[in-house]
Amino acid sequence: MFVADKLVKTFPGVRALDGATLTLRPGSVHALLGENGAGKSTLVKLLTGVYRPDGGRITWDGEELHFGGPLAAQKAGIGVVHQERNLIPAFTVAENIVLHHLPGQAGWLDKQRMRAEARRCLDLLEVELDPDTPVARLSVAQGQLVEIAKALSLDSKVLLLDEPTASLTGDEADRLYTVVRRLRDSGHSVVLVSHKLEEVFAVADTVTVLRDGRSVAEAAPLEGYSQSAIVDLMVGRAFASIELPQRTVDASKPPALRLDSVDTALGHRDISLSVRPGEILGLYGLVGAGRSELAKAVLGLEPITAGTVEVHGKPARIKDVGEALRRYRLGYVTEDRKHEGLFLEQPVARNIAVTVWRRLAKAGLIPDRQERTLAATYVEKLGIRISSAQQLAGQLSGGNQQKVSLAKWLAAECDILIVDEPTVGIDVRTKAAFHELIAGLAADGLALLLISSDLPETIVLADRIAVMSDLRVVGQLDNTHNYAQMSQQIIRMIHAEVHTA
Amino acid sequence: MEKTAAPPGRPRRLPLWANPRLGLVVLLVLLVAFFSILRPAFLDTRLTLTPLQSDISVYLVVGLAQLSVLSLGHMNLAVGRMAATSAFAMGLTHDKLGAGLIVSLTVGLLVGALLGALAGLIISRTGVNSFVVTLAMDFALVGLITILYASATDGVAFPTMPAGMEALRFDTFADYCLGDICGPRIPLVVPIALVAALLVGLLFRWSRLGREILMTGSNARAAELSGIPTRTRVVQAHALSGLIAALAGFLLAANNGAFSAGIGDSFLLPSFLAPVLGGTLLVGGAVSVLGTVLGATLTQVIYKGLNLLQFQLDQLQLYIGLVLLAALSLDRARHVLAERRGAAP
Repeated sequence: MFVADKLVKTFPGVRALDGATLTLRPGSVHALLGENGAGKSTLVKLLTGVYRPDGGRITWDGEELHFGGPLAAQKAGIGVVHQERNLIPAFTVAENIVLHHLPGQAGWLDKQRMRAEARRCLDLLEVELDPDTPVARLSVAQGQLVEIAKALSLDSKVLLLDEPTASLTGDEADRLYTVVRRLRDSGHSVVLVSHKLEEVFAVADTVTVLRDGRSVAEAAPLEGYSQSAIVDLMVGRAFASIELPQRTVDASKPPALRLDSVDTALGHRDISLSVRPGEILGLYGLVGAGRSELAKAVLGLEPITAGTVEVHGKPARIKDVGEALRRYRLGYVTEDRKHEGLFLEQPVARNIAVTVWRRLAKAGLIPDRQERTLAATYVEKLGIRISSAQQLAGQLSGGNQQKVSLAKWLAAECDILIVDEPTVGIDVRTKAAFHELIAGLAADGLALLLISSDLPETIVLADRIAVMSDLRVVGQLDNTHNYAQMSQQIIRMIHAEVHTA
Repeated sequence: MEKTAAPPGRPRRLPLWANPRLGLVVLLVLLVAFFSILRPAFLDTRLTLTPLQSDISVYLVVGLAQLSVLSLGHMNLAVGRMAATSAFAMGLTHDKLGAGLIVSLTVGLLVGALLGALAGLIISRTGVNSFVVTLAMDFALVGLITILYASATDGVAFPTMPAGMEALRFDTFADYCLGDICGPRIPLVVPIALVAALLVGLLFRWSRLGREILMTGSNARAAELSGIPTRTRVVQAHALSGLIAALAGFLLAANNGAFSAGIGDSFLLPSFLAPVLGGTLLVGGAVSVLGTVLGATLTQVIYKGLNLLQFQLDQLQLYIGLVLLAALSLDRARHVLAERRGAAP
């Protein structure tokens, strides 16, 4: 039996896992469920040796395991198929499968043995694939099977599948699950991480549900639960909602930002949304629903192929962020703050002032003092904790980084803000402060489009909620702030969509 | 609750001994002392120090040309050939049109800037790595320069130079007196290089343009998402590199006494050495002009010193390589050590 007992993992400013327990029996399919940010990915990374736990232990039949790295975990018999592809496209199927233990002698590759080994693994899955095909020529589903074969080639007894059907069609998913059942019957433990509850109920035997880094259901037989009982467990009825002051949106005001039947080159179809000044429109959906991409299309980073975007009632064709900022006073606080939001190697002052250098500059030169004053204003306003404005942004905690990334748009005096996943990777208390901050911005009259995969957050903050799935808006709701009712409605909306798709 | 929490730790600032500029100064002093003891002629103004200053000036400007694109995390491998092409343009303008110093120089600088802008344009439009683009450009320009010199001159150099270049070559401020007071024995090219360094420093430290270039180098995606026209900044940085390379070509021509086809042949490696020794990162986002001044000085001091110790040319190259490798490794070791200390709780 494989047991991960009371695992703890902290990152600067966040307790990602706080005593999560996972128990696996051989010959079973185990579902690992939880909302975005509940700690699933962190748990998977601990089990596969990517991270080391700060507390708790991993044992297998009573023997404690320590992984020095991903390879050690694989050698110990824990295979993983990540959500993103990890194959080398230019190599053949066989080469990819045996990549970590290439058979050979004196540095020469034994192609015969390599093919035989690959064939053995593919046969375990009963998959018909020529080992000599380059991986680049495979479909996504075939690639996934090759990854499973690769995990099996290391004689894995535990196999973790992270959202394996995210990019598969219904038929392909069915075939994958046939393989999963076969693995179970041959004595493997399969861990299935998925958002698609129908699939989970069809395949899994037992379930662990994570919430806020803790396991709220541990290796429970899935038969005992209904789908809505699982949803309740995932979102948690006892969510302590913070009290935000009531805001009223002046419905007579024209929308600050309006999208009308917008199609994009990325495949969004018929997107219609609008946000009024002083209003927060929550844009909820699962990861991959196309929300950030929609925001980037509005900013001109991706082509809009049909429909109209209006800013304050006037049609707008925004060609880049500079124009969005200066002409339309529209800002975008990115989700991926490390790669898109911040300049980690630059001082905080520059990170905040970068959007307004044009305004500060005198004869092309930027006076230090004014930049410092400006930075200090927003550091104070947002309660950013820094030791000096010259501190590098990369040295701040996640919450403070996020505030810096927000500050540059406030400094630019935007009146429409698209805020993308503002509290991902931020601990609970800072999160609450951030929610107050965002609500405060709306109260000051900003129009806010809040992209979030965090359901409690969306329900606490938004005035209205648009639900996106698969590049479409599948429904819009007026938010009653009644958590139980709203969450049920929204989750059903998404899962109904996944089911019929 | 955010405000009442304990203040965050001090920012991790490198201790004084880990400052690469300081290390360079120390190394410089030690080397000068070493060479002076072995060869007292090292301190001879007319024989050593004055020509040394001219050389430092040229290679400082060469380093600044590279620094302009290192700011982006890019490279300009055509820095020497851009200088050569610009020098040809200066020679041609003077030789065929009879233009004076200022006009010829301006035309040359313009040619350099255009070449740089072309490289930048190709890089920003195609997304091809700057290494590849400027390498290709270097090859193309090598051929072009040979053809140009063959068609416009005897094949090697222009026979004449604009009036005033002789003064840049031979004169020092000691030749210019106001009554009894004469200037120090500093060559006339020195202030040109220093002004260039000051302007580049001003650009990257205080100007919006320079800072936006640095931000683009620091994180191009974030820069674009902050409203910086990153493509334009790439073109501008490369144009600046070309312009400064042209200035370096001009200064070398002044030192050599001719606009010749060989100008820029020796620019490529020193162009990286000066800024990198001075602490400019290859990954972009940070530059040090002062460091580049020190880096250029250090390389030329080593060169001159070993020269005085009568090393053969090939030996000279070998030892310079070794000394620089040692300097860079020491720098790296010091940095790692400092990081480790700073990172400790």
